[in-house]
Amino acid sequence: MKLSRRPHFLRKLIVVIVFFLCSSCYSVRLVSTHGAPMTCQSGIDEECPDTMGNYYRDKRVIVLDTVIKSGIMIQDIGMRTQRLGCESGKLFSVEYKNTFGGALLYLVTFGNKRKVKIKYICMKPEN
Amino acid sequence: MANTTSHLVSKWDTLHNNGPFDLKLLQKTKLQGKSNMPSEIDRYNDSANEIRRLLQEALDHNDGFRAYGARWSMSSIAHQKDRMHYNVFMNLDLQILSDDIHKESVYKRENLFFFQCGNTIKEISQKLDSHGKSLKTSGASNGQTIAGCISTGVHGAAFGVGAIQDYIVGLNLIIGPNPEDIVYIERKTKAALNSAFAAKIKSRVIRDDDMFNAALVSLGSFGFIHGVVLEAEDRFLLKRYVRKIDKNIALTLAKTLDFKNSDFKINGETDANGKGNTPYHYKVFINPYTNEKEYVIEVMYKKPFIDNYPDPFHTIDKSIYKDLIYLLIKISERFPKRIPWFIKQLQKQILPDVNEESLGTLYETFWDAPYQGPAFACSFGVDSSDSERALNALMNLTKKEGPIPGIYAMRFVKKSEATLGFTKFPVTCVIEIDGVIWKKSRNLMSLQEFSKRMIEVLQQHNIEFTIHWGKNADWGFSGLLDDMYGSKALEWKKCRNLLLSDKMKEVFSNDFLRTVGLSENVVHFDNEPEDLIVSN
Repeated sequence: MKLSRRPHFLRKLIVVIVFFLCSSCYSVRLVSTHGAPMTCQSGIDEECPDTMGNYYRDKRVIVLDTVIKSGIMIQDIGMRTQRLGCESGKLFSVEYKNTFGGALLYLVTFGNKRKVKIKYICMKPEN
Repeated sequence: MANTTSHLVSKWDTLHNNGPFDLKLLQKTKLQGKSNMPSEIDRYNDSANEIRRLLQEALDHNDGFRAYGARWSMSSIAHQKDRMHYNVFMNLDLQILSDDIHKESVYKRENLFFFQCGNTIKEISQKLDSHGKSLKTSGASNGQTIAGCISTGVHGAAFGVGAIQDYIVGLNLIIGPNPEDIVYIERKTKAALNSAFAAKIKSRVIRDDDMFNAALVSLGSFGFIHGVVLEAEDRFLLKRYVRKIDKNIALTLAKTLDFKNSDFKINGETDANGKGNTPYHYKVFINPYTNEKEYVIEVMYKKPFIDNYPDPFHTIDKSIYKDLIYLLIKISERFPKRIPWFIKQLQKQILPDVNEESLGTLYETFWDAPYQGPAFACSFGVDSSDSERALNALMNLTKKEGPIPGIYAMRFVKKSEATLGFTKFPVTCVIEIDGVIWKKSRNLMSLQEFSKRMIEVLQQHNIEFTIHWGKNADWGFSGLLDDMYGSKALEWKKCRNLLLSDKMKEVFSNDFLRTVGLSENVVHFDNEPEDLIVSN
């Protein structure tokens, strides 16, 4: 009985480990020491969720969470700030999140697919 | 035209989640674009017209109206159940020219700046910096709007300077819906700008010391604060030291602020006779649950500005998991006896590092608040000579009837001229306990109960006190207003009665004002100056 259960248990364990490895991550945030962040009001402005944590409270955050299909010949990928929520066009802070799953995806697709997860806040426009 | 969007909502909350509070309508005004209206004065006047229109709407609906900015206050002072106006995008600054200065002005033109209400301390500091100027003082952080700061009496620990409202020299208020309801108020004895400038911003001038001092800390109830004139000073640097010193020396300094004759000295911060220099800033941190013989203190000395000082910002900033704090609070609610242990574990995160030193401008020193989650703060003002007695009384309460998940600090502020400035003593010692919001449990009293007991304990010890308008307190405590301000409260109400019509008094009132007893009409005036009555 014990022997027959073991493969089942191992399968579950592997699934759990893979899940945690793929979602395990860290992030680093670069913040400007000048300018003021674009503000918003949670509960009123749609793009102002109250669930992003301490740093993002009352700040208008733009989230880029996507997989970019590039091709093995592509070296650089650039992204531009959007106008909505970033009227000043100037960046106040940028947070880049690195996940094990994203790194794995890059490896197994030979750089063809690149997981991007970025949160950025623009500067509040000066009047 | 400035553009206002209106949102039907049901709740509103402070930044630190001290609510939620009921609300019907939230309005947000953005200014006309620079490309469509290049003149700053035109855009400023255009936004004034928009605010007048919103006030008319509020009147038409029998609604109250209240502006708010960064919503940092923890009391319900910023809340209005009918209409609230978010003014953070109203952040113009107007240039003051030589022709705008009053002929009897006591201020230098180059030190006077005009800022619209929604400018934050951070934005103002940056704008001043580009002119080689600085604010005289700020709070411990920089996110509050200027209108919010002065309305509640935000302060730092600059005991030779005062609170933020103390360097405001002119106020531009919108007190009703009509064109003549825009007023520019300044002191008669210290005029700053002339009537020609007031005409540019379509304002009627009131030069009256009593009215100005009352409107300075207005609790948001003297009308819509549209702009302020502030007096800045030349940019300076602050040399900051954190030290752990003998508790008795720290408390003696708190009572006397006599650094010259104290045993506390810092190398390089002494005069030719070896006596200690008087710092710009003094703050004491106290963990109420340890009987340490030494307290952590922070002192800052003012230095002339030089260009080539090292960058004061750390490249790397770390913060602990917010969820860890919440977990500790949840455990504390069930097992309050663990609170002192938790605070000791978090002490490294809460208190500055001992022997830390830095050099930077005011803007760089009082930087972004690292924690913006749910929080409470109770803050009492006492005469600095009473600081030790008050601290001991409050700490005993916290230990015996708590524990409460917070840590104490003392800061010191010069007397304010504002009628209801809570920094009313020659030097006010602000004793504050800050921490994370908790829920009442079987073994842990509520914040409301704790706030009430703090007032009772200070009264039992016959210690005269005031309370920071923007902090948590039992604001409905019987006789509180009279105890704190006596005849000053009546003076404030008289000035408000003179400035606002009955209808507009109602529009600019809120539950907070009614609770503390400041909303009521004052029926009789002696020598009523009729020309002050402006709103219709």
